[in-house]
Amino acid sequence: MTDITAERPRAEQRGKSAAVRGGRFRVGGLLRFVFIAIYTAFLLLPLYWMAVTSIKSQEDQLSDPPVWFPGDPTSINYAEALNRYNGWKGLENSLVVAFVTTILAVAFGTAAAYSMARFRTGGKHLAFWFLSQRMMPPIAIIIPVFLLYSRYSEEWFGFGLIDTRIGLILLYTVFALPFTVWMMYAYFRQMPPELEEAALVDGCSRVQALRKVAWPLAAPGIISAAAFAFILSWTEFLFAQVLARNEAVTAPVALAGMITFFQGNLYGQASALTMVTLIPAVILGALFQRHLVRGLTLGAVQG
Amino acid sequence: MASRAEPMTRRRPSAVSSWMDRHVRWLLVTPAALMVVALTIFPLCFAVWVAFVQYDFSLGDEHPWVGLDNFVENWKDPVWRASLWRTAWFSVTMVAIELGLGLLLALAMLRPFRGRRVLMTFFVVPLFISPVVVGGFFDLFVRRPYGVANQLASWVWPGDVTIDFSQDSPWVYIVLIMADVWQWTPFMFVILLAGLAAIPDTLYEAADLDGAKPRQAFSFVTLPLLMPIILIAVTFRLIDAAKLFDIIFSLTRGGPGTDTYTTSYYLYQQGFEFFHLGQGTAGAWMFLIMLTFISFWLVRRLLKPVEEA
Repeated sequence: MTDITAERPRAEQRGKSAAVRGGRFRVGGLLRFVFIAIYTAFLLLPLYWMAVTSIKSQEDQLSDPPVWFPGDPTSINYAEALNRYNGWKGLENSLVVAFVTTILAVAFGTAAAYSMARFRTGGKHLAFWFLSQRMMPPIAIIIPVFLLYSRYSEEWFGFGLIDTRIGLILLYTVFALPFTVWMMYAYFRQMPPELEEAALVDGCSRVQALRKVAWPLAAPGIISAAAFAFILSWTEFLFAQVLARNEAVTAPVALAGMITFFQGNLYGQASALTMVTLIPAVILGALFQRHLVRGLTLGAVQG
Repeated sequence: MASRAEPMTRRRPSAVSSWMDRHVRWLLVTPAALMVVALTIFPLCFAVWVAFVQYDFSLGDEHPWVGLDNFVENWKDPVWRASLWRTAWFSVTMVAIELGLGLLLALAMLRPFRGRRVLMTFFVVPLFISPVVVGGFFDLFVRRPYGVANQLASWVWPGDVTIDFSQDSPWVYIVLIMADVWQWTPFMFVILLAGLAAIPDTLYEAADLDGAKPRQAFSFVTLPLLMPIILIAVTFRLIDAAKLFDIIFSLTRGGPGTDTYTTSYYLYQQGFEFFHLGQGTAGAWMFLIMLTFISFWLVRRLLKPVEEA
């Protein structure tokens, strides 16, 4: 379908109609690159500023006029952010939470999507119910969830969920589910059912057909859904801020703490930790660029 | 479909697996559905009760019934009403700018050139950064005197610019909008680029043969074919923009005063700064209802042409 990165197979086709395409953008020829350059500058400036701040010494950070190219780069901000200000703890919690969330959301989401796509379970209503979860503002359930986690979970289940990784994992799974369900729903509907039917004819049970035929075939879709679930929980802030105060602080919460509570004092450290949290984000971004569209639109636009 | 395979006779190894086989469709949906019920539907029902009582930690286990007081209190607060309007105009402005920039960028990036792949990777990076961090960058960028915003401004503007971007009236809004645009323009860009790439070249050739000028080709070929995708992207972005919280939290903390409170930030303040849990919950319910209406309207209205196509 519409692969945004599939330039190579299209290249010849493009070449043929170069005159047409060229004509279309004749006015824009140079303008086009000027626009790209300006946008790139707008995009990179804050990123550059943060990268530079993360290696600036304290004096350079506070100097006026600001220092664009620090003369004496230092790694002290990184060391302090990680060791003194919850950096490692935040990263570890974020990693564990994002990882488990991804597994749960993908497993549950794929299963539900398969059932909805193949057996039409629940028809349009169930699919739309899952989609409607995507529309819900997190702020609408934050207070009740906070109360349930902090006051009632102990009473009802015997264990508190406030400030625990499990508490966050459960919530994030629910928030990732609309994404995984809809991405996989769109994927399974494209996949021909004949292969599984052949497996059934050959004597597989439904469950076997699912495990041995459908899941492996859906692997590419599953991987991009997983990348989405991971990023979703890696960047989530509101719930973590409210529910994880101490033991379960995630990286964004640790960052927000440095930026907002010590107004202006810990920018070097905050920038350093941000640079670290960018690593998985950039890797995933580079790897899953071509699946991005499907995730952003929940499968409505095929990328 | 699958039911065609049902009448096939096949050996069944055990009672358990045959039961699983017969009910597999419901077994597969159950975990996902249960989780959503447990962690969104149930808390929402619980919230209805919280909204009608005075929920105060100092009262211990007593929760006196106060009827509609929480809702009334909320509406009496001018900050609440202002936050609703602000959320609305923020969302619309941000999404409009993102759509414009994203469309221009997608058009500019459509044809391959050297370095395009690398640029693409850079362009999508903002989508993978936590919004609270984006707010933090922009704060760092504009904060006086260490930030560079004033220095940059004095290069293009005559004289020495000393604007306090986090306090002075139009600027604080502009910085907030820029932060959101910085993060979410790639969203529009990526989706619209996929849409543009899907338009077959033959249509442009046909338009060319018919003597269409580039501008005409754009408005009679590109735009109509791209419209369904634009609508999808706008719908999703509007629904998300209405939840704006993170960049407010890290960039302005609602200030100056309450001038940049969005509804989400207002409710957060009610709940977790003042611990007006009843009032916060009442407000959250009203916000949810409003958003639900708007979301459904948007999905119905905007996505209708898509479904018909």
